[in-house]
Amino acid sequence: MTATTPLIEARNLVRRYRTGATDVAALRGVSLTIMPGEFVAIVGASGSGKSTMLHLLGAVDAPDSGQVLLEGRDISQLSDADATRLRLLRIGLVFQRFYLMPTLSALENVELPMAEAGASTTVRRERAKSLLSFVGLGERTDHRPSQLSGGEQQRVAVARALANKPALLLADEPTGELDAATGAALIALLQQLNRDGLTCVLVTHDAALARSAQRVVTMRDGQIVSDERVAEPVA
Amino acid sequence: MILLRFAPALVALLAVGFPVATHAQTDTVIGTPTAPLVPGRAAPAVRGIAIDERIADDHGVVVGDTLRLAAEAGTRGELVRVDAIVRRAADPSEVARSEYRVRLHLDQLQRLTGSEDRVDRFAVALRDSGESVDSALARINHVAFGFRAHASRDVAVESSRTFQVVDRFHRAIGGITIVASAVFLLCILLLKVEERRRAIAALRLAGLSRRTVALSVIAEAAVISVVGSVIGAGLGWVVTLAVNAHYQRLFRTPLTFAVLTPGITLFAVTLSLLLGIVAGALAAWRLVRTPPLVLLGR
Amino acid sequence: MRATLAFASLWRHPMRTLLAIFGLAIAAALLIDMVMLATGMRASFKSLLTSRGYELRVTPRGTLPFDTEATVGNAAALVASLRAHPDIERVSPSVGTTVQIASTRTTQSGSAFALGTQPDVQGEYSVLSGRAPSATDSTLREVIANTVLLARLQVSVGDTINVSVGRSAQLRLSEVAERAVIVGEARFLYVPPGLPAISAPLRAVQSLLGEAGRDRISLAMASIRADSGGAAATSARTEAVRTWIEQTHARVTAISTETAIVQVEERLAYFRQLALILGALSLVIGVLLVTTLVSLSVNERLGELAVLRAIGVARSGILHQIMLEGLMLGFAGIAIGLGLGLITARWLNAILRDFPGLPADLDFFVWSPEAAWKSLAMLLVAATLAGAWPAWRASKVRVAQALREEAIG
Repeated sequence: MTATTPLIEARNLVRRYRTGATDVAALRGVSLTIMPGEFVAIVGASGSGKSTMLHLLGAVDAPDSGQVLLEGRDISQLSDADATRLRLLRIGLVFQRFYLMPTLSALENVELPMAEAGASTTVRRERAKSLLSFVGLGERTDHRPSQLSGGEQQRVAVARALANKPALLLADEPTGELDAATGAALIALLQQLNRDGLTCVLVTHDAALARSAQRVVTMRDGQIVSDERVAEPVA
Repeated sequence: MILLRFAPALVALLAVGFPVATHAQTDTVIGTPTAPLVPGRAAPAVRGIAIDERIADDHGVVVGDTLRLAAEAGTRGELVRVDAIVRRAADPSEVARSEYRVRLHLDQLQRLTGSEDRVDRFAVALRDSGESVDSALARINHVAFGFRAHASRDVAVESSRTFQVVDRFHRAIGGITIVASAVFLLCILLLKVEERRRAIAALRLAGLSRRTVALSVIAEAAVISVVGSVIGAGLGWVVTLAVNAHYQRLFRTPLTFAVLTPGITLFAVTLSLLLGIVAGALAAWRLVRTPPLVLLGR
Repeated sequence: MRATLAFASLWRHPMRTLLAIFGLAIAAALLIDMVMLATGMRASFKSLLTSRGYELRVTPRGTLPFDTEATVGNAAALVASLRAHPDIERVSPSVGTTVQIASTRTTQSGSAFALGTQPDVQGEYSVLSGRAPSATDSTLREVIANTVLLARLQVSVGDTINVSVGRSAQLRLSEVAERAVIVGEARFLYVPPGLPAISAPLRAVQSLLGEAGRDRISLAMASIRADSGGAAATSARTEAVRTWIEQTHARVTAISTETAIVQVEERLAYFRQLALILGALSLVIGVLLVTTLVSLSVNERLGELAVLRAIGVARSGILHQIMLEGLMLGFAGIAIGLGLGLITARWLNAILRDFPGLPADLDFFVWSPEAAWKSLAMLLVAATLAGAWPAWRASKVRVAQALREEAIG
């Protein structure tokens, strides 16, 4: 793959949901190209289709029409098993509510994707420890999510997303449940990862937060209404 | 229900209870001739006997038929006429015993079995002279020569030992089943209430007091238990019909094996209601003490 | 990792899980008891019948051994005919009756079951102390008694007793009572507990019975000659001999161990069927408990499961993990249920052994490892399958929809 090949490309994506008797078009023919190493923020009001977009990019959901190409390969029509495998190995997901397994320790939460990928106990334990140290939680590996603050939980979630060295990190409102200072620290962590070469896509409704990205894509009513580069991302 | 009899001490001393033997070959099934009893021609000297309904059913014997009756297979015995067909009383001690029964006059049986002027037992009715059964017993046993007198109630107690054992067994099994059902009910009800945690959280957030929410949870569990136990009682009634039909056919007896009494129904419904209330109270106590937002997973 | 997750999920609600395990334990206990009851009676009865190596029992036509007072006449000829059969190795004839016994030393007296046997071939009792009566006696001189009789009459080996039939031994009438010495103490295999019993040589008991006992027996037991053909061949020869006896001797019924077991099973059908129904109910209860608990647990965790799927855990992974929860519940319940079942089986066995007229050695609940493991495996499979439905539902969770609902909810 060369630098000119997009890491992920959405082509004319359409996605409808049925809510009761009404059909809601969440995406109405959206196209987007993201190059390797980019840090993109998708912004928009609630219901604009940004989370749906993230789910399609992450192979969590499939479009009704259109294509998603990851590293040149169409991932929009993958079988469930293939899509699962792809999420496990190539995509890291971070959610607004962290979604850590409440019954597992921080270390075990980070180990989980590696265990699923078949890594040996020694290998995954070492890597989980080093990832937790990287996100600043080297001392809290044995804590349960309920014993960690919101910011700490989200950092564990980031470490978990990085477990299998993904090509793409997708974050859905990662600071939504955090206070301003903790949220800023988390964004700094994502920027750090991006500087280290990881492609990041961030979904947020907070325009100010979006300015920490290099590129801001704005959505409204299931369509992209603007796609701008940020001259100087906020650090 | 009598089950196994090995020892002669338990052989019922029935003056009229003898296995039927005929001049025909019999098969290997204990006490049950397979070849039909062959009806012969009635002769004036032939005496009448009563036979069991089972013999009549199994071998097509009707009143008026002549049979040959012998105390031992292979011997001549004597011709008898069927004067009556008797349906066995619903006697639990007869259940599971499959041999045939014939009833004949005492002297006839004595002659047939060569037991001369001997009997296994005889019943004695006391005159209304005011003498107690115990003193009559003592008096008879004091002069006893080759026999012993027993009070009818003692005989009844001894012969009911089997049912006492079965009854104890049923009670034990029933006890285990009730404990199992109680745990099961408690478990299911607790789980079902826990399933409603979001709805309960919503009620609490809407401003309902802990007391109101707890009472509604308990009331719901109680109603579910009562409705469930009433449906269960109905199902139980259907099962008793099936059980009775099955065992009456299997053991060929008019005996009733399972009965659903109002007392049992009341017990089942009351127990379910109590368990429902306990489970509801336990679950409610846990749920109303938990902050609504925690219940919602926030 | 999956096991950790499954265990942790169960431990999240300890009270709920413990209650389910307890419920499952009771179901397992009931199932084990019922399997022990259903298979134990047969096993115990078979071992009792075959304990002395006699495969065939010959009784007066149409009766079970000692089930009635019927006897077979011309017994000597019958026994000789049986002994002449090339496939019959041993024949043990016996006659049973009720006698009156009085101690000559103490004032105690009472009725007892008297068994006339040929001491050299008898299969009715085993000698505990002393010796068996002399086989050659034709009149009553020596008897062997069971412990119950010794205790009831307050006599011991070496004492003399008066034995009479149909007359009161209390009167000690010399013309009707025989005087005999107790030469040993025995355990009678087929005599119910609590029943006083003695045994004497067959001819002595026959002579005691007078005309009613002349050359008559209640039962003859026959053992089949063993050969190298194995169990199947012996069984076939037993059946052939049984048929031959019935065809040759119209006055008797020949019962093999197998047919005796079948007949007893017919009489005990009620218990077997009760066991079957209660066992099946236990299984249903177990399945319902596991299904309900795991279903609820899955419903509560749909969001969590969706996240697991989102981060790359395969459907089969979710399926395994949820089924593992059912399996863990099953294991815990069964482990406790096994102990509980054995304790309740002892209790229920003690109740049923009080049945009047049963041989002392007959058990209703018999521990058979094979039957127990089979029932436990059955419960474990049931528990696993019970977890399968919620597990399947969990694995089918729609990831995007569940995440959306979680975000909204």
